Amino acid sequence: MIVAYTHVLILAAILFFIGMLCTIARRNLIMILLGLEIMLNAAAVAFVGASLRWQQVEGQVMAIFILAVAAVEVSVGLALIVCIYRQTATVDPACIESKECQLL
Amino acid sequence: MTAPLFDPISPLSLWAAGLASLAPMVSFALIMLLLRSRARQAAAVSITAITISLACAVFLFIRHWGMKVPSQFSVNWMVSGDLAVPLGVLLDPLSLLMLLVVTTICFLVQLYSLAYMAKDPGFPRYFGFMSLFAWAMTALVLSPVLLQLYIFWELVGLASYLLIGFWYEKFSATQAGKKAFIMTRLGDAAFFLGLLLLLGVGGTLNILELNQIVLPEGISGFVAALSALLIFGGIIGKSAQFPLLTWLPDAMEGPTPVSALLHSATMVAAGVFLYGRLFPFFSHSAIVLHITLLIGTISMLTAATMAMVSRDIKQVWAYSTISQLGFMIMGLGAGGFFGGMFHLTTHAGFKALLFLCAGVLIHRFHTNDMVVLGQKGARQMKIPIICTVVAAGALSGIWPFSGFFSKEVILAGLAGQSQPVWLIAGLIGVFLTAYYTFRLIFIILLPKSFPGGDSQEPGNDSAPANTVMAVPLVILAAITLLLGFFQDPLQSFLAPAGGHGSGHGPAWLAPSALSLAIAAVALAWVEFGRKNARQIGFVENIKPLYSLFSNRWYLDHLYRWGVHNLLDNGIAALCRKNDDHVVDGGVHALGNSIMAGARRTAGWHRALIQRKLMVIFAVVFGLTLIMLVFG
Repeated sequence: MIVAYTHVLILAAILFFIGMLCTIARRNLIMILLGLEIMLNAAAVAFVGASLRWQQVEGQVMAIFILAVAAVEVSVGLALIVCIYRQTATVDPACIESKECQLL
Repeated sequence: MTAPLFDPISPLSLWAAGLASLAPMVSFALIMLLLRSRARQAAAVSITAITISLACAVFLFIRHWGMKVPSQFSVNWMVSGDLAVPLGVLLDPLSLLMLLVVTTICFLVQLYSLAYMAKDPGFPRYFGFMSLFAWAMTALVLSPVLLQLYIFWELVGLASYLLIGFWYEKFSATQAGKKAFIMTRLGDAAFFLGLLLLLGVGGTLNILELNQIVLPEGISGFVAALSALLIFGGIIGKSAQFPLLTWLPDAMEGPTPVSALLHSATMVAAGVFLYGRLFPFFSHSAIVLHITLLIGTISMLTAATMAMVSRDIKQVWAYSTISQLGFMIMGLGAGGFFGGMFHLTTHAGFKALLFLCAGVLIHRFHTNDMVVLGQKGARQMKIPIICTVVAAGALSGIWPFSGFFSKEVILAGLAGQSQPVWLIAGLIGVFLTAYYTFRLIFIILLPKSFPGGDSQEPGNDSAPANTVMAVPLVILAAITLLLGFFQDPLQSFLAPAGGHGSGHGPAWLAPSALSLAIAAVALAWVEFGRKNARQIGFVENIKPLYSLFSNRWYLDHLYRWGVHNLLDNGIAALCRKNDDHVVDGGVHALGNSIMAGARRTAGWHRALIQRKLMVIFAVVFGLTLIMLVFG
């Protein structure tokens, strides 16, 4: 293994943190969904790294599972966002919850 | 203690004593449970019961005449830890004498009530309450333990409340009943505290043990004095002494026979009886005796002044009761046990007589006002008027009526005090008593004007009722006439050692007291009796004094003011503030802060999805950190 497992974990942590910030801080449902994807991918990176570190194939299998789940999630999530946008004409979650936005 | 305090009681006496106190109770229960609507049966049951009591009392009195050692019987009624509450019967000269007095007066009053209350719709209820009264009083008199005495003491209070407020449709009657109950309760609270103190410190409430020459173990002189003072508080309430005296004049709202009973042998007599009962205990402390002497003197003089200006015949006798009770307490406070008790006995006789006579007049003429009574021709009713005069002579302390003898004993006791002020106060009391008594007599006997033309002739319609009522009057008048001559045997029976009761005072005392009384009668004659008398007393000419006396020294106003300002606006307002601000405020603040905190916490959950996520992440990271550090 060329890359040290620690580095892989650090990369995964950074990715996860970026995704988390994106999820928390952005005011756009699509970007929040994107943040979720990034966090999922951070987990997938950690799994792949662990699979390499211990020479076990289950980690890679988990990565493929995660990809599948992420794909499904994105499709469902995007569909929901489209629905919301049609109803409220906005993709800002704060605006969706407040009444002024719903009038728009 | 080598010699036992008491003999065991003989079975026959025990049965008699039990019967004497329980017969009225059975009658009370019977009347209240079964005979509420049967007037004749109720009266029959009640009078039978009191007759049994009277017979037992007479039997016991004769059987134990001249007893040296008291006999006592008690069983444990309730045991709780170290504390045992016994009930029982104590027979000693004092309780025997009082039992006789109580049952006699109760019997005569009930006999009299047969006619007096005949047309009253509450007739059976009246006799039920009378039985309750008789039961409570006889059991009180026979109590060997203060706690039992206290129980029946309260029952006496209850019975008098019921009887004073007997005509409950009348607002003033219910008010008077409440006033009597509450004011005596005030004293009873002190009494109860005294009992608790005695029980807590000394562990005994047995009367004979408390009355030993040496105080029982564990009771120091201070505790004894303090508890005696507290118990005296109960006596003040019950016997209507100085600070708590205003309930008794109002208590005449009840039927007149009730007043007769209340003022002579039961309610108010219970207070003085308690003092006599615990007299050796009280006399351990000279200060306590002096305080009681002072209270008695104040009550006697203030009540006598009140009686000087009242026009209501029953009210005059009510004030005179307070005054005479004060006189008894003076006698006891001066160390004259026999004087106080002897005056209690004679007073029971003549005061019952006075009230019963007043009842006859009120029954006949439907007014309490003595001037109106005189104008309506009350003097034509021979028997009541003669009896009133006899009793008035006794009340004023004129020879040969019983009051003369008992007053003389008390005055002798007062003369034995080191300061002459008590004796002077006593003599002033004698003068005032004779004055107001004969003021009333002259106003009734010698009416000065007949505004309504000729007076009504007493009709014959109530003649049979009058004969029934006359019997107790004549009996009581005979007692009043004769009782005084039994002073010496009674004295040797009640106070055989003669230690406390001094026999006769200085030789000048009796003649001077008698001449004072006669002078007062003469003054009353000049002002009210002689021809062309204006029937205005010297007090009524001095306006401030008159208003002071007729408003009862403004005592009621003072109480009202005190209750309003101190209780309502002072303590009660403080309590309300405490309730509103501290208690309620505290609870509200607690509730509000919890609500606010919960709302704030709920905010994290309720908020925008991103904030929720932030919280979730923060918690997860926090838990991970904790696990890393501590795990």
